Amino acid sequence: MKAILLLILAGSALAQAPVEKDVILRAMKDEIARARALRLVDEPPYFVEYSLDDGAFYYVHASMGALVGERDSRERHPRVRIRVGETKLDNANHIASDAYRGSRFDPFRYPLDDNYEVLRHCFWLATDRAYKQSLEALARKKASLKNVSNTENLADFSTAPAVKLLLPAVRRVVDTRQWRDRARELSAIFNAYPEIIGSDVSATVSQTTSYLVNNEGTEIRFPDNLAYLRARASAIAPDGMKVYDLLDALAPEGAQLPSHAELKAAVTRVAENVRAMVKAPVGESYSGPVLFEGVAAAQLLAQTLSRNLSVSRRPVSDPDRPINIPTGDLEGRIGSRILPEWIDVVDDPSQREWRGRALMGYYPVDAEGVAPKALPLVEKGVLKTYYGTRTPVQGVESTNGHGRIPGPMGSAVPLAGSVFVKASQVTPAAELKKKLLEMGRQRNKPYVMVVRKLDFPSSAAREDLGRIARGQSGVQVSMPLAIFRVYADGREELVRGLRFRNVNARTLKDITAASDDLTTFEYLENGAPFARIDSGGYVVGTSIVAPSLLFEDIELEKIPGDWPKPPLAPAPPVSE
Amino acid sequence: MRYAGCVFPKVPALSVICLLLATAVGASGAGQSALLEILADELKRNFEALKKADPAPYYLAYEVTEEDAEAVAATFGSLQSANSNRSRNLDVTIRVGSPKLDNYHRMQGDFAQFTAGIAIPLEDNAAAIKRRIWLETDRVYRLASQRLIRLKTNTQVKAAEEDTSDDFSLEEPSDFVQSAGKLAFNRNEWSAKVRKWSAEFSKHRGVLSSSVTALASQQMRYIVNTEGTRIQHGRGFARILIGAFGKAGDGMDLSATDSFEAESPDRLPKDEQVAAAVETVGKRLTDLLRAPPVDPYVGPAILSGSSAGVFFHEIFGHRIEGHRQKDEAEGQTFTKSVDKGVLPEFLSVVFDPTRKNMASTDLNGWYAFDDEGVKARPVKVVEDGILRTFLMSRSPVRGFPKSNGHGRRQPGAEVVSRQSNLIVESKKMVPEEKLRAMLVEETKKQGKPYGLYFQQVTGGFTTTGRRGLQAFTVIPLVVYRVYPDGRPDELVRGVNIVGTPLASFAKIIATSDRHEVFNGICGAESGSVPVSAVSPALLVSEIEIQRKAAGIDSPPTLPRPTGAGGGQ
Repeated sequence: MKAILLLILAGSALAQAPVEKDVILRAMKDEIARARALRLVDEPPYFVEYSLDDGAFYYVHASMGALVGERDSRERHPRVRIRVGETKLDNANHIASDAYRGSRFDPFRYPLDDNYEVLRHCFWLATDRAYKQSLEALARKKASLKNVSNTENLADFSTAPAVKLLLPAVRRVVDTRQWRDRARELSAIFNAYPEIIGSDVSATVSQTTSYLVNNEGTEIRFPDNLAYLRARASAIAPDGMKVYDLLDALAPEGAQLPSHAELKAAVTRVAENVRAMVKAPVGESYSGPVLFEGVAAAQLLAQTLSRNLSVSRRPVSDPDRPINIPTGDLEGRIGSRILPEWIDVVDDPSQREWRGRALMGYYPVDAEGVAPKALPLVEKGVLKTYYGTRTPVQGVESTNGHGRIPGPMGSAVPLAGSVFVKASQVTPAAELKKKLLEMGRQRNKPYVMVVRKLDFPSSAAREDLGRIARGQSGVQVSMPLAIFRVYADGREELVRGLRFRNVNARTLKDITAASDDLTTFEYLENGAPFARIDSGGYVVGTSIVAPSLLFEDIELEKIPGDWPKPPLAPAPPVSE
Repeated sequence: MRYAGCVFPKVPALSVICLLLATAVGASGAGQSALLEILADELKRNFEALKKADPAPYYLAYEVTEEDAEAVAATFGSLQSANSNRSRNLDVTIRVGSPKLDNYHRMQGDFAQFTAGIAIPLEDNAAAIKRRIWLETDRVYRLASQRLIRLKTNTQVKAAEEDTSDDFSLEEPSDFVQSAGKLAFNRNEWSAKVRKWSAEFSKHRGVLSSSVTALASQQMRYIVNTEGTRIQHGRGFARILIGAFGKAGDGMDLSATDSFEAESPDRLPKDEQVAAAVETVGKRLTDLLRAPPVDPYVGPAILSGSSAGVFFHEIFGHRIEGHRQKDEAEGQTFTKSVDKGVLPEFLSVVFDPTRKNMASTDLNGWYAFDDEGVKARPVKVVEDGILRTFLMSRSPVRGFPKSNGHGRRQPGAEVVSRQSNLIVESKKMVPEEKLRAMLVEETKKQGKPYGLYFQQVTGGFTTTGRRGLQAFTVIPLVVYRVYPDGRPDELVRGVNIVGTPLASFAKIIATSDRHEVFNGICGAESGSVPVSAVSPALLVSEIEIQRKAAGIDSPPTLPRPTGAGGGQ
C-alpha cells in the first residue's frame, strides 16, 4: 500500500483526458458517456454510477490437520446505479426501488478478460436494465406519495465533490502451498485437546481492485485488499453448555498477518481458553463494578457506540405496507451527552497506521466514491453526528464519507472506519484494577468482575446465539468469552455461562474511569447480529482504538438454558 | 405442495455440475480407498454405541460423494469464469424403529429430512474425518429419533392408511470396489476453445447475451451400511453447453441452445463440430427473433425424438416414481393402473441405468449402484402399453416390496425413487419421411391449416401433487409450422405446450424408426440427478399449445455499443 495518493477534487477537464490505457476504466467511461442519451417517458437519468470490483480470492479450510476445502477464483462484480427525477425526489428510498420485473441479460459477474468491447456490452445492458428499473420505481414512488404524507421532508440524494483517484492495482501471487501447510498445521494444534469436539482453521486472501465512475466526473481505481485467518474451537462443558472461542486475525495483505509462530501461540490460546471454560464454574447473577479490559472495552464500544451511529433512511412505502425499522439507541440524540464529558471520539478512515500497524479501518474512498476525513463523533461527551452517506437522514443531510457498502433502495450502508476513543482523564492501567477492587470493598461484594473478551465477532452457530439470547429483548451486547471473578486478594477465577443484562448505549454515560493505555481491536463488519462470522454478504475492515473502561454498575445474569445432551457415542480417538 | 420440478438445463448452468462414466471396473478389493475403511470403522463404532440408545437404530449408512470438477465459460470471446472444485460430502442415513414403521414414514406436512451433506476433509486423515462423522451421526440420530416419536403419537399415522406397506425394504448387501479415475481437463486449452467458439456470437447483432461452457468432473461414491454393503464406484462426465439469448421487438425473450455430453472430455465432439453448432445456435436465434409469434392451436404434431424424450420424462416418468404412489399428497395418476393399459399398445418403456450409451452418444443416466447401494438393473415399466411396475427405491409401496435400484439423490438430500435412462421402444415405426407424410395427411383429415413440428425442447416441469393441476408444460425452443400444401416449413416463436398427461398418451399415432437422446439434469425432491431420455419421434393426433407471455420490458433503448476500441 505504498501507492501515491492522487486526489484531485472536482472540476478536472475530463473531456481532454488522453486515451485511457486501463481497458476497464475506458469501457466504463465510454459507456457511461452514452447513458445521458437514455430517454423513455421524457425522464433522462440525472445520476449514473458504475462500479466494478475486480477480485482474486483464495480460501483454504482445514480441520484437525486435514484439508477440508480450498478455492481459488477470479471474479468481477459489477454494480450499476441510475437515478431519475431530481435530488429532491428520485427513484431511491422507496420500498419498491429495488424491484424489477423485466428480464435481465447483463451477467451478474463480468467477463475476466480485459476485453473493451465485451465490457462495454455488459455495461450497456446493465445500464438499460437499471434505467428501466429506476423509471418504474419513480412511478411507483410518486403513486405511493399520493397516499402517504412524508413527514421527514428530506431530499433523496445529496451532492458530493467529484473525486479523481487512480491508484495502481496491487495483486501478489498467493503461495497456496504455504497457506495449505499453515492451515493444516494450525488446525492440528487442537488435536492435543481431546475435550475440543469441533475445531477448524480457515484463511482468506482477497485481492480486489475497485473501480468507480460516475457522470459527475468521479473516476476511481484503488486496491482494496484483505487477508484474514480464523481459528475456532468448541467444547461441551460437563453440564452440556457449549463453550467456544475464536481467533480472528486480519490484515490488509497476507504478508501483514501475524507470523506463523505468533499465530501458533494465538491458536493455542484459543484452545487453552476453551479448555479452561470447560473446567470453569458457571457464574452467578451479578450487579456491581465491572472492568472491561483491553479488547473487551473496544468490543463493547463497537456494539454500543459505533454500530449505533449507523442510522438508515426510512423508505417511503404504501399506507397498507408500513415498514417497521426499529429506532437505534442513539437516533435523535445529536447534541445530547452520551459519554462522560472527559471522553472524545473521532472516526478517521484516512489514517493508514496506528503505532506502526496498518489499520483495517483505512479506506481512501467509500462505496459512493467519497473521500473520508477525520470525523469528530463525540466531543466532551456530546454526540455531534452520525455516519453519513449521500442519502440524507434526519440530522446528517450530506455525506461524510462513511457509505462503506452498497445498501438497499439506492443507499449505501453507513459504517465505522477507524474509531479513536480518547479520554482526557486517565488512570494508569494497574491503578484501574485497584480502583475496581476498592469499589467492590465499598459495596461489600465478595468479588468484582473483569471482562477480557466478548463474543464479537461471534463464531457461534445461529441456533446457539438464539439460545444464549433467549428471553432477552432488544439488541443485546454479546456475551463474555473471558470473564473473571476478582477476589479481594487479587486472585482471579474464570467463570462461564453469563450474559449482560440491559447493557446498551445508555450504559456508556456511566463510565467511571478509563486506562492510560490504548488497545486496538479490529474486525470485519458485516452488519449481522453479533457480527456473526458465517453471515456472508459484504464485509469491511473496522478498527476501534480505546482504553480499558471501568463501570460502577453492570448487570450480569446466568444464561437460562436447557443445553443439548452431549453426543451418545464416545468421541473417536484423536490419533491412531 | 409437493412437486416434481424437473429442469433440464440445456441452458448453461455452471452451478449444476454432473457426473461421469467410469472407465475401469476393478475387482473387489483392488484400489480400495482408505476412506472406505475409515467409513466402515466409524459405522461400526457409532452403530454399536447407538444400539444402546432408545429408540435404537436398526440401520445406519454412510455415503460420501467425492467430486473433482472443472468448468470454464466464455462470452463473446472473453473468458467469463474458470472454476475448479474439489469436495467430499457425507450423507448419513439412520433408521430407528423397525422396517414396518421407522423415522422415514411419510406424513403429510412433515417432510423427512435428516442428512445435510456436510463437507468432510479431502484428505484421508482418519482422526479428522471420524470426528466429523461422529458429530454428524449424533445430529442425525437425534432428528431421526425425534421424528419417530412424533410419528408414533400422530393420529394420522394411527388412522388407517390406504397403503400399509413397510417403510424400508430388505436388500442383499453389495461388495464392489472400483479404483478412482483421474479428471483430465486442460484448463488452458479449454479456455482457449470456449473463447474462440463464443466469439461467433459477436456476429449476430440480435444476441444480447450468450455463453459457451465446457465442464468436466470425476465423481466417486463411497457407501457403507450396517447390512454389510461396501461400495466404491465412480463416473466421469463432460459437457459443452451453448446458449444465446435475445429479445424480439415485442419484448418476448427468446433463446437458442445446444449441448453435448460425454463420459470424459476426450469423448466430446471434435472442435469443428462444436463450432458449427455454435454457428447454428447464433443463426437460429436470429431466425427466431424474426419469426412470427404463434397463435393458440390444437391439432396434430410431430415431436422429434429428443422432444419426445422430454415429453415422456415429464408426463410419464415422474408419475411412476414409486414414492409418489404412497404419498397421500400425491395425485397418484398410475397407482391403481398396474397391469392396465397406460400407453398405446405399440409402445414399451424401459428404464436402464446399466446402459452407457446409445449408438455413439453417451447416456447421462448411467450408474452401477444407486445411492442406497442397490445394484442398477434395467426395469421394464411398460410392456406393450401395459404398466408393470414402478421405479423403486428401498421405500416399498403396495405390491412392490423391493427396490429396483432407482433410489437416487444429490448430496445433502434424502433418497427418493428417481428416473435413470428412459428408453421408449416402439413396434409401430416408420421412416421419418413417412411420419411427416402421415402428419400432412392427419392435418388435412382434421381440416387444420397446418401441423406442427417440434424440433427441440428445453425441458419443463410437472406438478404431480393432488392439489396442483395434473398438467405439464414443456418449453419448446424450435417449432415449425408444417403446411399441407407443400409450402416450406415456417419457424414460429413463443410456443408453450399445455395439456393433461393422460389425454396426451392416447393420442400417439406412430413413431419414427430413429432414436434420439436427450441428456439432462433432473431436479426434484432429492436434488439434481443426471438422466437421459431416449425416444423415436412421435406423431400425435392432437397437441395443445399456448403463446408464452411476452416480456414486459422493451428491447434495449440505446443501440448496441459500436465495438471500435478507439475510446469514444
